[in-house]
Amino acid sequence: MTEQVKVSCRNLHFYYSDFHALQDITFDMYQHQATALIGPSGCGKSTFLRCINRMNDLIAGVRVEGSLTMDGQDLNDPAHDVVVLRRRVGMVFQKPNPFPKSIYENVAYGLRVNGVSDRNFIDTRVEESLKLAALWDEVKDRLDQSGLSLSGGQQQRLCIARAMAVEPEVLLMDEPASALDPIATQKIEELIHELKSSFTIIIVTHSMQQAARVSDRTAFFYMGRLIEVGPTSKLFTRPENKQTEDYITGRFG
Amino acid sequence: MYTHLHEEIEALKLKVLKMAALTEEAVGKAVRSYVKKDLYLAEEVQDGDVQVNRLDVEIDELALRLLALEQPVAGDLRFILGCMRISVDLERVADEAVNIAERSIMLSSRPPLPFQDDVAEMGGKAMAMLQHAIQAFTSGNVEAALQVCSLDNEVDVLNHKNMRKVIEYMIHETPAIERSVHTIILIRRLERIGDLATNIAESVVFISEGVNIKHKRYFDEHQ
Repeated sequence: MTEQVKVSCRNLHFYYSDFHALQDITFDMYQHQATALIGPSGCGKSTFLRCINRMNDLIAGVRVEGSLTMDGQDLNDPAHDVVVLRRRVGMVFQKPNPFPKSIYENVAYGLRVNGVSDRNFIDTRVEESLKLAALWDEVKDRLDQSGLSLSGGQQQRLCIARAMAVEPEVLLMDEPASALDPIATQKIEELIHELKSSFTIIIVTHSMQQAARVSDRTAFFYMGRLIEVGPTSKLFTRPENKQTEDYITGRFG
Repeated sequence: MYTHLHEEIEALKLKVLKMAALTEEAVGKAVRSYVKKDLYLAEEVQDGDVQVNRLDVEIDELALRLLALEQPVAGDLRFILGCMRISVDLERVADEAVNIAERSIMLSSRPPLPFQDDVAEMGGKAMAMLQHAIQAFTSGNVEAALQVCSLDNEVDVLNHKNMRKVIEYMIHETPAIERSVHTIILIRRLERIGDLATNIAESVVFISEGVNIKHKRYFDEHQ
């Protein structure tokens, strides 16, 4: 399969007021691949992730320079409808955050706020999304129960199903398994492998083993700069940059 | 930052170096036992092999534990894999030394053949390759490792030359056929030690550069 660029950034800079959080970031994220962003706390990886669905817009005093595009369209174009953007770019957070609603309504929520009212269509999408998130078999007999009644791992898969329901093109995952036990983590990681065939995944993770297991490409950030990006198999066996080697082998600091 | 993994990796390196020192000593003694008809040295080589085998098992166990528990990556991962390969090669070198020692014991009770100098020369070259490969491993010197690979040709040339020499001798000295066959096997063992030293040098390149240069010529020619 030929690699097609989905999200691309060129000389991207990001500022929280005076703080220069991202400095001159240039790289591509490819369609139907999982790209992992790794680096120590405060390196800018989550800031970068939130640039892609413009979550940072909600913070006062932020400024973006450079280009960030999806399918060649400028994501920071003021004319770009953020609501439409966030339908195209779904997000899953570190801590599972289901709405205090039924399992069914959690998944249906995105469709309803996007104006879908066809009951049959919503039923179908809810089932498809829960199947895609590998949760259907566990919840199909209790769709009317609260999403909060599920275990942590199930809640996180519910959040993934909720994100999937509106058929986004890109799925951003910010440490999606850091609050989960190893079995639940394994399920999420398997899910990432499955979801790649339909979506483009960009995942921030503190677990280097997780980045190594789930991603096709890995980008290493340090102090707001992109130090190295490349195929995961290469970055974890033959990194080109000394700082990358030091970080992934634990020789940092 | 110096971590537990790096302490363990140092311990692994020490075990490989210890194994290398014992193996090097065994090859030297085996060649000398043939040249000097020294039964005592040959028996030392035979008895010493158990220590090399023990280290081989220890290196395997330590490497397996590090891979399973520490999940090393990049340079650490390559170093551990490289040590596993090197220990396999060293164990085989030590087995070749035992084989040479066995031939020496067999030949020592019979009238000598005129190949002492040839075996000594070839043994010296094979030993030098092994020593240089181990030095390259100790220092992580890729250039030195590549030089070892280029020396292998010299040992191969000596192998062919000596083989022909022994065969010609056999044709005229039929009572010496059995001793000549043992000598040919011994020469072949030395050639094999050269090959294994090359393997070790290739592992040194893998550890430093992350590229596998084994069979490179074959793949280059067939692509």
